[in-house]
Amino acid sequence: MDQAPTTLDPVQGSNIYANFVIVNAYDTLYSYQYLARPYLLKPNLAVDFPVVSPDGLTYTIRLKKGVRFVDDPCFADGRGREVVADDFIYSLKRQFDPENQPQGAWLWQGRIAGLDEWKAAGSDYAQPVTGLRAIDDHTLEIRLTRPYPQLTATLAQGYSALVPREAVEKYGKGLGVRPVGSGPFRLVSYDTARVVMERNPNYRQEPVDLAAEGYNPATQRFSGVEALQGRSPPFVDRLEFNFINESSASWSSFTKGDEVQLTVLPIEQIDRVLASKRPVTLRPEYAARYHVYGGLEAGFVFTAFNMDYPDFGYNPDPERERRNKTLRCAMIKGYDWEARNDSWYFGLGEYFPGIIVPASPEFDPSLSRASVTRDVAGARKLLQDNGWTAENLPTVVYGTTAGTTERLFFEQFRAWLRDIGFPREKVVQKTYANFGDISRAWKKSQLPLVAKGWGLDYPDAENTLQLFYGPNASPGSNDANWKNPEYDRLYEESSVMQPSPERTALYHRMNQIVLDDCVAITGISRTRIYLWHKNVIAVPDREILGGFWLKYVDLLPEPAVSPTLAKGG
Amino acid sequence: MEILQYALRKLLAGLPLILGVTLVSFALMVYFGPDMTYQLLGKNPTPEQILEVRQQLGYDQPFLQRYLVFLGEIVTFDFGVASTGEPVATLLAKTIPVSLILILPGFILGHVVGLLLALAAAYWRGSWPDKLIMAVAVIGMSVSFLIVIIGFQIVLSSSDGLDLFPVRGWNASSLGNYLSYVTVPTLATMFVALGYDTRFYRSVIVEEMTRDHVRTSRAFGLPESRILLRNILKNCLIPFITRVMFSIPQVAIGGALLIESYFGIPGIGKATYEAIVTGDQPVLKAVVSLTAILFVLVVVLNDILYRVVDPRVTLK
Repeated sequence: MDQAPTTLDPVQGSNIYANFVIVNAYDTLYSYQYLARPYLLKPNLAVDFPVVSPDGLTYTIRLKKGVRFVDDPCFADGRGREVVADDFIYSLKRQFDPENQPQGAWLWQGRIAGLDEWKAAGSDYAQPVTGLRAIDDHTLEIRLTRPYPQLTATLAQGYSALVPREAVEKYGKGLGVRPVGSGPFRLVSYDTARVVMERNPNYRQEPVDLAAEGYNPATQRFSGVEALQGRSPPFVDRLEFNFINESSASWSSFTKGDEVQLTVLPIEQIDRVLASKRPVTLRPEYAARYHVYGGLEAGFVFTAFNMDYPDFGYNPDPERERRNKTLRCAMIKGYDWEARNDSWYFGLGEYFPGIIVPASPEFDPSLSRASVTRDVAGARKLLQDNGWTAENLPTVVYGTTAGTTERLFFEQFRAWLRDIGFPREKVVQKTYANFGDISRAWKKSQLPLVAKGWGLDYPDAENTLQLFYGPNASPGSNDANWKNPEYDRLYEESSVMQPSPERTALYHRMNQIVLDDCVAITGISRTRIYLWHKNVIAVPDREILGGFWLKYVDLLPEPAVSPTLAKGG
Repeated sequence: MEILQYALRKLLAGLPLILGVTLVSFALMVYFGPDMTYQLLGKNPTPEQILEVRQQLGYDQPFLQRYLVFLGEIVTFDFGVASTGEPVATLLAKTIPVSLILILPGFILGHVVGLLLALAAAYWRGSWPDKLIMAVAVIGMSVSFLIVIIGFQIVLSSSDGLDLFPVRGWNASSLGNYLSYVTVPTLATMFVALGYDTRFYRSVIVEEMTRDHVRTSRAFGLPESRILLRNILKNCLIPFITRVMFSIPQVAIGGALLIESYFGIPGIGKATYEAIVTGDQPVLKAVVSLTAILFVLVVVLNDILYRVVDPRVTLK
């Protein structure tokens, strides 16, 4: 992988790197079918999907019996005890204990009865939470304050992984480097360069049912996964994650065979390795050694206009506010998605109108592509018709983290704006030392343009639609600080609806409002190219499925690679 | 006794240096360093959650109070817990030895080979061996360290090259493994260090060779080897010691960021870099303090070594 996790404690497992390890060390109640695309939930530690009360407020979940945590000195006799419903309640409480610097609370905040009150009362673990109840050791009841259709999906996230209280009490913050879970693997070592895990010998026996995992022979037979049918994962004894930030080192290491799977093909190797981009195929010398798969990102890259800035957004003068909208629309027209795709994403990305990404089940492929089709003449005319001149155009401040690539992003953006009439000096870059610093600027509403990426937390367009929900304004996820009463009403209406054509229709209306208001330049989903050695049975993924696929990795017996060794590169 | 008194005196005199370095570094961390708050927040934070994280990190405390806490940590050598959840002391105990055994071979060989090449260049000063050595030294200094690392990696380690060593990683569980993993980083380090070391040593040696006492020794007909060892090298020892000694804090604490990053070696250089990027203040505070303390120790030891090699030097 191209980065190392900063902690392995589920309470802070906010990024893909941490989650790759966390979901292999810990159990979550739900996970995703290994091979189904679009992604589909499945029970993991839960016996089945929740039984939901008719009012949608009470979820009853049964846990599998006989599942044990790994053996660890934190337990009384050193032997891992059985996982029970109280472990889930304890783990969720941890997300609401400020001492843990939790990062996942936003998923359940205001949703689970009594949880916010429990936190307000001092996060005392001895006190119960009214909405979380263990009916018995293997039955859990969750009561909601209002219907939350995405609840089951949140229980497939690393944040909700079940942590034993004994481990937290013994290791404290040290749990971040010493996971104690009931997942398919247990940690052997962890440092900034790699994580080593070994098979959890007590992991439950659950034979693979390819049909239940969403297997599609037409597109997935090449991977050899049919050999897994009827066998119980994990299949390898040892799992290694090598964290290699430098693409040249990553490529050399992979081609030498030190990693069996390369997470993402480096951009500088594209022309050398690929024979064609659509479909993604390898040149013969590489095709003989590697499998390849081009997977569309479950997320997108976009640039939001910060409506707090009177130069672009809301303005006390209604006429200026009207003209501001024309300015934003002109900038959207001037944006060249095709060039961006070719320059940065090998021409393999999929750019689309609006904020419902192609990986969402609610994606609408029939939507007009006008907002992602460059129209320089139209942009110039729009500016001219509304009184914008080189003299009165506002200065555009484009914030980025420091780096060559980011500078090039900016230069390209400036060139596009110059094409529609912006003077060069009116498009300026502001750099920040790192992601934390630019995040601070976004959260404090200090940048007029917010260029960022968003990865889906679950396969539901609600996850991107909430990015423009008024009450989520800064420091929340609505960096645009856009407030549209109609949009907010539709969001609130849809947020309690189970998936249905009616809900999808509401989503599409909201999407159209974002487009009509010209509130963001959006968007593109990138394609990641995965490579893995021919002797590896796998269908890699680093999107919503994340690290869940690693327990299904197996190796064909081949002298070149030890059959007991798998390394996630 | 004189040396002990001197050492204690110098160590006491080093305290203001440590205070100064830590104060400036801490001010830089607090006012210009990355703000970890926003990396620790969830995707959709509330103002209350931002406040909670700032309180957890101690960012809400006055600067002076935070600095005093820092000084207390230096005295007790307890820098708390890194952002990973690992105690900083454990992190340092894990990473510093790795950096030491990673860098030491290149450090020692770089100086020894550099000295030998410098001697050869100085001996044949102005002739082709001198020009050749200096030309190679300039190349070593001119090529980016990054290019050297990537070049060595491709040529010596990758399947497109000679494929003799591991591309990256670290394993020092046996001498064989250690040699296998340390060779390419050492060669890369040496290639770059040699240029600087050779030029430095050559200039010192050449300067010494032109002194009157060397000319007089030659006039007396002393053998060249004796002149070299007793009249030239011995008199060069003070600048040599200075160069070597002042590199030690860098070797011990700074590690080798690029080497560790590109070769995937879990040393202190990589840990420090990541702490800088993420704003992991407990780790940064520990590294800054240790570097300052080590620097003071090196200054003391340096002066004592001066006295050892040159009795004319007084320890006052």
